Amino acid sequence: MRRLKTLVAGAVAVALLAGCGAGAAAPTPSEPAAGTAATAPSGPPSGETLIVYTNSNGEGRGEWLTQKAAEAGFKIEIVGAGGADATNKLIAEKNNPIADVAFGLNNMYFEQIKAAGAIEPFTPSWSGEVDDAKGDKGATKAYWPLVQQAILLGYNSDKFSKDQAPKDWTDLWTQDRFKSRYERVTGLGTATAQLVFASILTRYKDDAGDLGISDEGWKQIEGYFKNGTPAVAKTDLFARIASGDTDMGQMPSSIIAEREKSFKVNVETVMPSVGVPLAIEQVALVKGTDKKDEALKFIDWFGSADTQGAWAQQFNSMPVNKAAVAKAKPEVVDFFNTLKQQDIDWSFVQANMGSWVEKIELEYMS
Amino acid sequence: MSSDGGSNGAGTRSMLRSPAVLIVGIVLTWFIAAFLVWPNANVLIQTFFPNGSFSGRAAEKLFSSQRAMKSLGNSFLLAVALSITVNVVGIFIVLVTQYFRIRGSRILFLGYATTFIYGGIVLAAGYKFIYGDKGIVTGFLLSLLPGLDPGWFSGFFAVLAVMTFATTTNHMLFVANALKGVDYQTIEAARNMGASTWTILRRIVLPMLKPTLFAVTVLSFLTGLGALSAPQVLGGREFQTITPMILTFSNSPTSRDLAALLAVILGVATILMLAVMTRLEKGGTYFSVSKVSSGLQKQQIRNPMANAAVHLVAYLLFAVYTLPVVLIVVFSFADGAAIQTGQLSPGSLTLDNYVRVLTQPSGLRPFVISIVYSALAAVIAVGGLLFVARLLQKYRNWVTTAFEYLLHIPWILPSALLALGLILSYDHPSPLVGGAVLTGTTVILLIAFVTVKIPFTLRMLKASFASVNSSLEEAATIMGAKTLYVLRRILLPIVLPAAAAITALNFNSMLDDYDTAIFLAHPLFQPLGLVIKANTDGAEGVDGVSNTFVYTVLLMVITGVTMYLVYGRAGRKPARKAKTGAGGKQDPTPVLAEAARTDPALVP
Repeated sequence: MRRLKTLVAGAVAVALLAGCGAGAAAPTPSEPAAGTAATAPSGPPSGETLIVYTNSNGEGRGEWLTQKAAEAGFKIEIVGAGGADATNKLIAEKNNPIADVAFGLNNMYFEQIKAAGAIEPFTPSWSGEVDDAKGDKGATKAYWPLVQQAILLGYNSDKFSKDQAPKDWTDLWTQDRFKSRYERVTGLGTATAQLVFASILTRYKDDAGDLGISDEGWKQIEGYFKNGTPAVAKTDLFARIASGDTDMGQMPSSIIAEREKSFKVNVETVMPSVGVPLAIEQVALVKGTDKKDEALKFIDWFGSADTQGAWAQQFNSMPVNKAAVAKAKPEVVDFFNTLKQQDIDWSFVQANMGSWVEKIELEYMS
Repeated sequence: MSSDGGSNGAGTRSMLRSPAVLIVGIVLTWFIAAFLVWPNANVLIQTFFPNGSFSGRAAEKLFSSQRAMKSLGNSFLLAVALSITVNVVGIFIVLVTQYFRIRGSRILFLGYATTFIYGGIVLAAGYKFIYGDKGIVTGFLLSLLPGLDPGWFSGFFAVLAVMTFATTTNHMLFVANALKGVDYQTIEAARNMGASTWTILRRIVLPMLKPTLFAVTVLSFLTGLGALSAPQVLGGREFQTITPMILTFSNSPTSRDLAALLAVILGVATILMLAVMTRLEKGGTYFSVSKVSSGLQKQQIRNPMANAAVHLVAYLLFAVYTLPVVLIVVFSFADGAAIQTGQLSPGSLTLDNYVRVLTQPSGLRPFVISIVYSALAAVIAVGGLLFVARLLQKYRNWVTTAFEYLLHIPWILPSALLALGLILSYDHPSPLVGGAVLTGTTVILLIAFVTVKIPFTLRMLKASFASVNSSLEEAATIMGAKTLYVLRRILLPIVLPAAAAITALNFNSMLDDYDTAIFLAHPLFQPLGLVIKANTDGAEGVDGVSNTFVYTVLLMVITGVTMYLVYGRAGRKPARKAKTGAGGKQDPTPVLAEAARTDPALVP
């Protein structure tokens, strides 16, 4: 009954607002004093509604978070959008922000948003529990790390033993037995694809080369596209592995266990000697929000060891918060302990990713 | 007749004499300036003049890219091919259901009408279930021709075939409606003079349909240019189109100029196509000589061979149209792995998918929000443009021509850029909207929805006004009727069936919108498109794909009900009654409307 009432109220409100032509009043952006990082005041949450933008609301995450936040006294409204969409939206709205908090985007996206001046520096209460190197590396920190994911090359272990499997991405197009047996992307819009290319290209950094990459590096990209089988829209890589269309491809670490079960395949992952790229999801405070205190309190609660531990338990993720690791699933923690992180110069990647994507889309994809 | 051919100066002056016209003109000028020109000019300026000076970078990059040029070429090839094939198939199915006496034409109509209710990626997936490498038809063909390539259904041919069958909706609605206006007496007279079925069709019926056919041809061209999901699913390596590239680039701030340039190229092509069609449209207006006209009766195909062939083709097409829908509905009960591997076992069909989608905490709320938004936008667009379309059709001078082209601006830019333009322009108090800030309100999405639907609505309304004989209106005017009175009592009842169909199509097309809503939706009133995206995207894994199918089926139900409410009840009536159209019942002047509707016919 209550839901029905809300529905009717919602419908009426849309109709009324649409009819009268003017909606909510413009919030007045409150400029913080330059150079100081905001912190949350003490006291319980006020219960004001916070608008939270995220790309990490799928597969029940949004609902779970809304409910847990409500139990802690926070009223949040999640607005879900893909990584690129959420980034564009935050930047486009910077003159009159609608969101109060944004989370889930990786360093690359938040670096763009920070450069556009749409988020503001802050220090969460849990700042001592996370590794500085995984968040904002700037002098003033505008985003802080929550969850990490490894971006991996996975292969069908029923077809390839560990010895026969590729040892690195570059094997895929340089060794004949993998040619046409791996899935290559058909678009570079996703964060996962961009991280794979960051991982390959940054190995060939050359200031004299085109867009900071040597000719050898661009040859690798050419090889990648020439020798892979294109991904198929709305058909998951695991479905294609199951049907034998392809044997390997890119995958974020968190989805593997679940997909292996649904598609009844066995997948192992490659550990290149240079390491694997990590995508680290961050949280940030939107600049100009009129609910800054409440937003900061929410971030303190959300990034805390308790909440992050529960999130990790629920969604098989690997928390950055060291105190939360104890509550994560042991197999996930083990996996990350054995994993070598690739050392990637993110500021170099951030400065060039747009042009790289453009060049790849125009010249190498076919 | 005189008003149609009115020359420039006189047209402009006589136009400005009517107060109603003046008011509409002022409102229209404001709307065009505030919501079509200003936001889009803003976004284009920011894109092409990033630092205040023009950058030719985009053109240079694009023209030196083989892939971009090939994809662009493919999009144009598809647009031209589609303009032809959709007309062939579309006219055929309209004739089969409305003109010829075919056994079971009611059933055929329902089969062909399935394109009203679904489209996009799921439609392409539906065809793949049947003709793809593991599809039913492919399996059958392989048993006949063992040497056949299982991947035969891919590339240009597959994309063209699927898109042809998927986009005959406009023919089914608008061409069929125009066909009902053909004067049967002219056909009878021609037959008495010995004309064959084919001659009557070619010399009398088709020319009568010309304005509508021109309008739907422009739409088919546009559909081909903007093709997205069919090439992605079925195009394979050799037939990819430009839209995916536009979408990628419009999402990247550093490449947005490339997206805008590509979009402008497609937009200019569309406008050129429009100009050609407008010119052709002016070439011939046809009037009836018979003073008492009568409604169309279905024609028997006299040659038995031809009759059998037409029946056969009609039922083959019926199978082509309905099979994907049936499979989509069946697959919506299967789990995601079965959908993606194309393997179905009867025991694996459960209600789990529906339970999961419908018991989300957000529940039905997004459906209600989307229905309210879409309905408001559809009604505002059609209601607002009824008078405008009439003016543009009646007064032809440089002012109205300029207005007409300006109203097509939303066809030029992809909706993501339109949305960005609105944000850029109205995230601060603007005198254009009385000093209000529009971002963060519920109105801005409504504005975007209305704007996006303007070009389509205008084209179709104009086409339906074009098939109204002006002598009725002249008669009323001579007897002292005012402009508004003429519009309300004479013209509206005639164009009402078409207007209702346009409203329904607009409504349906906005229900699952994502591109606009993602930027403009109010956080507390999130429409369905955003929820669908959250449940189907990124995680294309297991639940994601089955959720896509469930949402498609749920949307089919909503759009099916809409089509039935708005159009179906009138469409199902036999020809004798259909003559009065959907508006017949509420129409206060049925006699006049009926006369007008059947009056225009052809003098070759």
